[in-house]
Amino acid sequence: MRRKQFLPALAAGLLLAAAARGQVAVRILSPEPGQPVFGATDVRVGVQAGPAIDRVEIYVNGELAGTARTPPYHVQIDVGEDNIQREFRAVAYTPTGATGSDSVVTQPVMINDEMNLRLRALFVSVTRNGQRALDLGREDFQVLDNGAPQEIVTFGRDELPLTAVLLLDTSESMQGKRQEAVRRGAKAFLDGMKPSDEAMLALFSDRLLRFTPFTSQKSTLESAIAGTQAAGGTAVNDFLYMSLKLLDARQGQRVVVLFSDGSDVHSVLPASDVLWKSRAGQALIYWIQLGGKHESFTSSWRDFKANDQEYRELEQAVRESGGRILTIERLEDLEGAFRNVLKDLREQYAVGYYPNNAKGDGKWHKLDVRVKGGARARTREGYADY
Amino acid sequence: MRVRTEGKLAGRPVLWLALVWLSAGLAAWAQPAPGTQKGSGTLGLRAGERLSPARIQEVYRKILADWSAGDTERAPDELIELESAVVSDADAGTRKVLLKAEQAVIHQVGAADLEVLVPIAVLHHEAYRRLLKRGFHGHALAMIHTRTMTRDLAILYHDQSGSEGASLVSSRLLTSLGGLLQQSAQQLPAAEMFQQAFTLDAKNAAALLGLAAIYEKNTQTESAVKLLRHVLEIEPGNAEAHLRLALNLRRQDHHDEAAKLLQELTASTDPSWVTPLAFQELARLDSDEGKTADAEKVLRQALRRYPNDLRLHVQLAAVLDRRGAPGEATALVEKALTLPAGEEAAARFLYNTVRPDAFAAARAFLDENSRSRLPVLAQALGAPPAPAGTGVGR
Repeated sequence: MRRKQFLPALAAGLLLAAAARGQVAVRILSPEPGQPVFGATDVRVGVQAGPAIDRVEIYVNGELAGTARTPPYHVQIDVGEDNIQREFRAVAYTPTGATGSDSVVTQPVMINDEMNLRLRALFVSVTRNGQRALDLGREDFQVLDNGAPQEIVTFGRDELPLTAVLLLDTSESMQGKRQEAVRRGAKAFLDGMKPSDEAMLALFSDRLLRFTPFTSQKSTLESAIAGTQAAGGTAVNDFLYMSLKLLDARQGQRVVVLFSDGSDVHSVLPASDVLWKSRAGQALIYWIQLGGKHESFTSSWRDFKANDQEYRELEQAVRESGGRILTIERLEDLEGAFRNVLKDLREQYAVGYYPNNAKGDGKWHKLDVRVKGGARARTREGYADY
Repeated sequence: MRVRTEGKLAGRPVLWLALVWLSAGLAAWAQPAPGTQKGSGTLGLRAGERLSPARIQEVYRKILADWSAGDTERAPDELIELESAVVSDADAGTRKVLLKAEQAVIHQVGAADLEVLVPIAVLHHEAYRRLLKRGFHGHALAMIHTRTMTRDLAILYHDQSGSEGASLVSSRLLTSLGGLLQQSAQQLPAAEMFQQAFTLDAKNAAALLGLAAIYEKNTQTESAVKLLRHVLEIEPGNAEAHLRLALNLRRQDHHDEAAKLLQELTASTDPSWVTPLAFQELARLDSDEGKTADAEKVLRQALRRYPNDLRLHVQLAAVLDRRGAPGEATALVEKALTLPAGEEAAARFLYNTVRPDAFAAARAFLDENSRSRLPVLAQALGAPPAPAGTGVGR
């Protein structure tokens, strides 16, 4: 409290001293440095100047957000609800063009307690002697988050609704038979969906050629596949990031099913952004590849080494998400691959827990799921604690 | 700009006799191209038809006469029909037959006036452009022939004339040819064309830029930087050269100079596809260096200028996600889905392939110079001249 009373008094003193020297002295009186701010925010500015003041402009994160023309200089600004750091800057102008300015940086709220309330859902595939084990109960599982045992609070299999993004490469190289095979593959996936499931279809090249909203209506999805002309290059990262981002706001079991050779030439985002997004989210990524082996290439954007690195990071994003890479050699196998993805998802156990060691610091949490009786479990490798 | 030289085709060694490009494995492309089925063309020629040299010469003269009369739509298609009929991918000798017959006609008309080489070269160039556009299955050797004819006629015209004007025309023919090759991902022959074009005209910025783009794509950034600096000496306001120089410098870890160049581009009023890319890459540079606040600022500025650019929305969303503003990031991605499909999103594709306007100036220059010489060609053939205003019509 003593500090709060002292600061305005000090500021006023400094302003008066500056005005006495004929300068334009500006101080932001509210908000205070370090204070968290959300929504409608009062910005109050003290100005002392020898000459008259024409106006005081208020900037938030470099954007002009408001202007006050008469004292007391006060503007109310809606800064939004995101819990982030913000920079407020006030610039005072005299009619002759002289200026003075001040800035204040506010901080986000540390919400460790809230983090403890965020349920983490793991989707776990379990095999025993090479076969799927589908008869397990909650008591058969143990979840270790950074080595710390967790209490399983939700458990089930094939109960949660599925939300999928079918992200299909429709670049120029996909013309003709390939595109027709992809259409059949996607249809096989859609045919296996339950009424409570939803999907979004996105056909991309270096552009977004066509997409649907999330819907359960198979006819909407199927008609979107038909009649799209394959054209252009490939931008996997950009559209995979978009898909993961759109799934953030969905509930239940979330998955991106990507069909592409993964040779990204045209994205503005690097694969590291996709990896980051995958680590921070809860969606699985399944990647169906035709031909399998990655071939190095150069582009105007990256050399061989950098493109190889991109490819590896994309593989890493899939692996860490708990999804799989399915490689097929023949177009005829594409339908089966899409069906296998759906089967894989249906046979997963959904295991939920509230992490007892969450801090919201963005650090990596390694996950380990153990199953009794010698069965093998596969799930996401970990997550970034945001 | 129209240039004209004086001279006749003398009995000097004909350079192009020695220039024959043959590719291995051509027989694999054995399917006829659309529009070249037997007897389907206006000349009624059948693929694989054994024409006598005299008949080939007769048909070639007719095609040149059509071209000189201003029939710019039909003549290139007729040339494709003739060359596809005579040349067989399975028999390299057929190309020699065609070459000799065409040479004989060119010698006859060139003896009257060397300037006829320009419209003849442009005719072959146009035929090659159409073949590329339609696909070349089954006619690889015919395609190589017409491309080689264009190149050799350009070089021949330059060598025989020796004038500065001839250098300009020949250089632009090779530049345009290089652009077509680059567009069809034939990097090495494209590079050779650009190199030759530059040799003929040291101020040919389009050829230098094309060559630099090939170096860039093949990871030879030092060579690319050198060429791009040269382009900017010739054309200081060339926005694409600025952008490519910045990105090549970044690949060499010269981040400060790269950032400076990109900032200049984002501050410019250049209306082309280069500017949104400059914004993207400047923000990328900031992000890579961990300066996400700067990246955010750049991208917000860019979105004010290009509110319908999908990539800028996605890029800003990714930056905001990392800066702890997932709500606004989601809103941006959702908004990106509602944007009208435009050409902005294709800019990154263009950068990696060929820009639409890159060789337009060279082609307009060729069209003008060919058109002005059509009466000379008509006269040499003893045919009626073209009506005024006739052009290739691309």
